[in-house]
Amino acid sequence: MAAGGAGGNSGSGNRTYSFKVVLLGEGCVGKTSLVLRYCENKFNDKHITTLQASFLTKKLNITGKRVNLAIWDTAGQERFHALGPIYYRDSNGAILVYDITDEDSFQKVKNWVKELRKMLGNEICLCIVGNKIDLDKDRHVSVEEAESYAESVGAKHYHTSAKLNKGIEELFLDLCKRMMETAQAEERLKGNGASQSASSRRGVQIVDDEPQATPAGGCCSSG
Amino acid sequence: MSQRTERRGIHVDQSDLLCKKGCGYYGNAAWQGLCSKCWREEYQRVRQKQIQDDWALAEKLQREEEAAYASVHGAQALSHSQPAASQPHTGHASLGAFSKFEEKKTNEKTRKVTTVKKFFSPSSRTASKKETQEGKTPSPSISRHASFDTEQVSKDFVDFLKNLQKPGREIHKQCRAFIVNMSSKKDLGADELSECVQDFYQNLADRLMSHFKGSSESVEQVMDQVEKYIMTRLYKSVFCPETTDDEKKDLATQNRIRALHWVTIEMLCVSMDEEIPEVSENVVKAITDVIEMDSKRVPRDKLACITRCSKHIFSAIRITKNEPASADDFLPALIYIVLKANPPRLQSNIQYITRFCNPSRLMTGEDGYYFTNLCCAAAFIEKLDAQSLNLSPEEFERYMSGQASPRLNNSEGEWPHSGSAVGVTPTNPVLAQLNHNLEMLSGLSSRQESLMEAAQSLQADLIAWPKNVQREVNDILEKYPLEIMSRTVSAIDANNMDNDQLPPPLTPQVFAG
Ligand SMILES: Nc1nc2c(ncn2[C@@H]2O[C@H](COP(=O)(O)OP(=O)(O)O)[C@@H](O)[C@H]2O)c(=O)[nH]1
Ligand SMILES: [Mg+2]
Ligand SMILES: [Zn+2]
Repeated sequence: MAAGGAGGNSGSGNRTYSFKVVLLGEGCVGKTSLVLRYCENKFNDKHITTLQASFLTKKLNITGKRVNLAIWDTAGQERFHALGPIYYRDSNGAILVYDITDEDSFQKVKNWVKELRKMLGNEICLCIVGNKIDLDKDRHVSVEEAESYAESVGAKHYHTSAKLNKGIEELFLDLCKRMMETAQAEERLKGNGASQSASSRRGVQIVDDEPQATPAGGCCSSG
Repeated sequence: MSQRTERRGIHVDQSDLLCKKGCGYYGNAAWQGLCSKCWREEYQRVRQKQIQDDWALAEKLQREEEAAYASVHGAQALSHSQPAASQPHTGHASLGAFSKFEEKKTNEKTRKVTTVKKFFSPSSRTASKKETQEGKTPSPSISRHASFDTEQVSKDFVDFLKNLQKPGREIHKQCRAFIVNMSSKKDLGADELSECVQDFYQNLADRLMSHFKGSSESVEQVMDQVEKYIMTRLYKSVFCPETTDDEKKDLATQNRIRALHWVTIEMLCVSMDEEIPEVSENVVKAITDVIEMDSKRVPRDKLACITRCSKHIFSAIRITKNEPASADDFLPALIYIVLKANPPRLQSNIQYITRFCNPSRLMTGEDGYYFTNLCCAAAFIEKLDAQSLNLSPEEFERYMSGQASPRLNNSEGEWPHSGSAVGVTPTNPVLAQLNHNLEMLSGLSSRQESLMEAAQSLQADLIAWPKNVQREVNDILEKYPLEIMSRTVSAIDANNMDNDQLPPPLTPQVFAG
């Protein structure tokens, strides 16, 4: 994911990271609410200033390093499911949201995990988010089950409430730190600051001289 | 001649939209009625000429710039010791170290080194320069028009780079060399062309990144200008190239959208209420913006059209729902706009942007988000079936085949004038606009009709005129037949009895044979 790297000189003190994060999950689990809470600190508010809540950005400074976070909302309707690969192409992180009162929505998250791991491998940081913890009395997904599932697929689990503003800052901060680690590890792998290769540039893994797999169903994958 | 006139026809039907060469693809007025492929063949040479012109212009500008530079810095050079000479040694951060491009590239094992190396090696640069200078002379009218735009872009580019001083000159040099090199790579496939351009962006961006000490804003600023300069020039050879099936896909999409004309805003569950005038205004603007995309040459300008379109959609949703649009609202609305607009050469434009846009914009930027949604919309339309519209397969089939229309079926009560469809004035402003356009079109077509009639009678006159002249000439010739007197002309003065009467100085002297 060279996207995470935004190029840069070897003195990493003044570099800026740019990360793309997609929001995935069934409709009504609270994706839009989460990101509006994070970027505007508002919930179900008629006075939200932003024209749209589909694409939001946030600038952070994490241990002296600048991070530009771009959060991509995705259409959650079932009939748009097949378009997923076009959305999550080149993303550094994915936030997979389910509603703790809705078992089906957790099943959907599992499907997304499978798909993302298949298409993007381990380079993408996965977050599984159980939202609406203020409705714990109606909980239909057990904490243990969700957490152990997350661990089994190399994802991290978070508990949030967009309504009460719980766990959201932590979620995004933690995700950013993990994406920075991934980007740095990748940089080290590439070694001594030589210019990034063109293949990694567009988020395609380098497989020596072999044709690169392109996501199926992408209308405009460059392959 | 007469056959040609007939084929051109007066009424506007499908065949008028097709390429004049009869190859089966759509023609375009901008290409003098040819399709892109035939146009390309026809004007291959024009591009050669353009490149040649660009070279000449760029060199002229370079000379001017160098002169200006020398006059400013010459004075400084006297007071400060050895400024220019020390430049390359001031460290790897300097852009003066462009020559290190090659060394760096060869260290990279995963890349095709040869192609990249060629771009920056001076030998290949001079070689291709010579080659373009041998280019044939094309038809001047087209090249003049085309080079006007590029000339302006060149000037803007140089003006911009002047502020960067020395690195600016290096950037200019690299860009020129790159463009010239690309002109010798017409046979490459689209993906390879894309690779070349993306490699160039990447290398330049890396270089700039160290020059600007990691300030990505400054780098982006320069890269935007570089993209504009390079892609304005390369546009004609790399947009919808004949090595791809982009054009076929364009046609398929165009026809597909036409076949889906019956899809309603309700079927797509779009949260835009076009009854609200402000909403429908935004809808019309969004449609205009997405159509305008095709007229831009620089990928970033095309992206800007998509972004403007998206913002109008957001406004429409915001007004309708009084809350910010989420992706759940936005994507269906964008699909609806694309279906209404049927944007020209949609697939070609998507491919072109994907291949040649500065990647940082596409991957994390806001423009990239809207572009991605446009890709989604195109993919959705391509695959759309009964299920995606919550219809039964039978219903879908009937609508697709034109046997039924959802508007007339479902909403007999809702349409106040359901009885007589004739003479109905639609209240929907988009429809009103459409009707207005149709009226204009039919007005234009009748004017064209009378123009064609006039042209045909003129042509008839022209054909008749030489015939009439011929007939008159024949009549006269009949009346006054040309009598050819038999004259035996032999030796000049032989048989000339009058010679004897001539005064002595003129009497021919007769020599004894
Ligand atoms: N109680 C509760 N309701 C929530 C929470 N987050 C979202 N909602 C509600 O869930 C519904 C769907 O939220 P939305 O953000 O539109 O979900 P999306 O479709 O995934 O984007 C809305 O009515 C929200 O008010 C939460 O943390 N707690
Ligand atoms: Mg939403
Ligand atoms: Zn043709």
